[in-house]
Amino acid sequence: MKRILIVEDQPTSRELLRTVLEKLGHQVQESKNGSEALNAIQGEKPDLILMDLQIPAPDGYAVLKEIRANPELQMLPVVALTASAMQGDREKALRAGFTGYMAKPVSLTDLRNEVNRLLGLQ
Amino acid sequence: MDQKAEDFKNKIESTVPVESSDDSRFRKLLEAAPDAILEVDAEGRIVLLNQTAERMFGYTRQELIGLKVEILVPASMREGHVGRRTNYTSHPQVRPMGNGLELKGQRKDGSLFPVEISLSPNRTGEGLRVIALIRDISERKEAEDRLRAVREQFTAELKAKNDLLESRNLEVEKANRLKSEFLASMSHELRTPLHTILGFSELLLEESEGPLNAKQQRFLGHILQDSRHLLELINEVLDLSKIESGRLELHQAAFDFASVVEEVVGSLRSQSESRNIRLENKNASHFMIYADRLRVKEILYNLLSNGIKFTHDGGSVWVESRTHNGYLEVSVCDTGVGIPAEEHQAIFDKFYQVGDTPRGIREGTGLGLSISQQLVELHGGKIWVNSEMGKGSRFSFTLPLATSDSVAP
Repeated sequence: MKRILIVEDQPTSRELLRTVLEKLGHQVQESKNGSEALNAIQGEKPDLILMDLQIPAPDGYAVLKEIRANPELQMLPVVALTASAMQGDREKALRAGFTGYMAKPVSLTDLRNEVNRLLGLQ
Repeated sequence: MDQKAEDFKNKIESTVPVESSDDSRFRKLLEAAPDAILEVDAEGRIVLLNQTAERMFGYTRQELIGLKVEILVPASMREGHVGRRTNYTSHPQVRPMGNGLELKGQRKDGSLFPVEISLSPNRTGEGLRVIALIRDISERKEAEDRLRAVREQFTAELKAKNDLLESRNLEVEKANRLKSEFLASMSHELRTPLHTILGFSELLLEESEGPLNAKQQRFLGHILQDSRHLLELINEVLDLSKIESGRLELHQAAFDFASVVEEVVGSLRSQSESRNIRLENKNASHFMIYADRLRVKEILYNLLSNGIKFTHDGGSVWVESRTHNGYLEVSVCDTGVGIPAEEHQAIFDKFYQVGDTPRGIREGTGLGLSISQQLVELHGGKIWVNSEMGKGSRFSFTLPLATSDSVAP
């Protein structure tokens, strides 16, 4: 069982992700905005973060910057899960230091595969 | 006087009527000069003047002799002129008058005209005299003014046009930026709810929350299918708007066309097999083309999936190609329902959808052919259709063949 942090302001999306990830047997923690996410990371370190980019302040990019500033968290897999899917958005996220990028809507199969891959379960 | 000069003098004297005296000839010369010539004494009184001066200022010689020269200066300038004249007589030298200022003369009738004046001192037995050469430059001024007016008008018009062009450019830029921003936020706002609609539908269909009856499964299938359709629409509308605003860049390279056909045919295989449609790549030879691989796949995918969509179960869909004038001509053919001649143009319009598919449903977004057409044209190619009702369709398009230059490593 791995610990996964979901950072997402939309309650329905949080419920969807929690349901899918718990069915995979993981322990899920939720944050509604950037500051909650930063607090959550202070506690027990998650094994994976799935983070929306457009969340109440600080936004996904700012949260990632804080995470990467911590030497212990530099290798932590953080996936951008975002509805920003215009040309260049993927490159922008990967350049900023996200481990992965998934555009909404994401198929459940793709989501499961990506999560398992990053947790080294495949 | 040397011999030559002597000869010249004799020659002149023999051809020109002999004047009574040199003074008289000199007087005629001065009278005929195009400039007004005045001589003024140390107190500023006019002592001498030629005929041109009379004509220029509208006075007779008798009227002017003995008057202060200020009579010829515009009333507003007279007072200052007295001082400057006095100043000149104390430092007499040959020089133009006015020091770059625009000078004016005043005629007897009070009218003013632009002049140029040269001054030179003339020391005589009766004391210092000043000779003034006055040139009426009205015509030159007028010509200059006309020229300047034309130039100014031209400059103003040019500037107005440039300003207009610049502001139009700014408007276009701004409109393009607003359009991009609008599209980006529209895309974001539509994807967000689609994410959960699709996700929960998939989740329910997996039946991990409990078994579904046949009807529930079918209904959920409809939700899933129409949501995917909506997503496809969003993607295609964005694609199209990107192409139309000229922001789609082709990444052209040389590659084997057959490999792309194989990939696209492969991705559609399950779709065609499920309806028992034979899907074939009749593209026997390997042609190198110079194109954007991703976009070529998109074109092929659109045409092939259209072919499958509009072909009866058990029919055939295939790709063939040949070279022609430096281009590869690709045809995507089917044994499907066909397209009436009057619709051969309209099918390439945005959102145009041909009648029902053999299965009686409308599928797709109505944008596939329009996008394919634009992509082909971006490559410098053409796309067209040959079709008859009931006899299938043949969609053909051309793409540039790779040359030895474009194949270079």
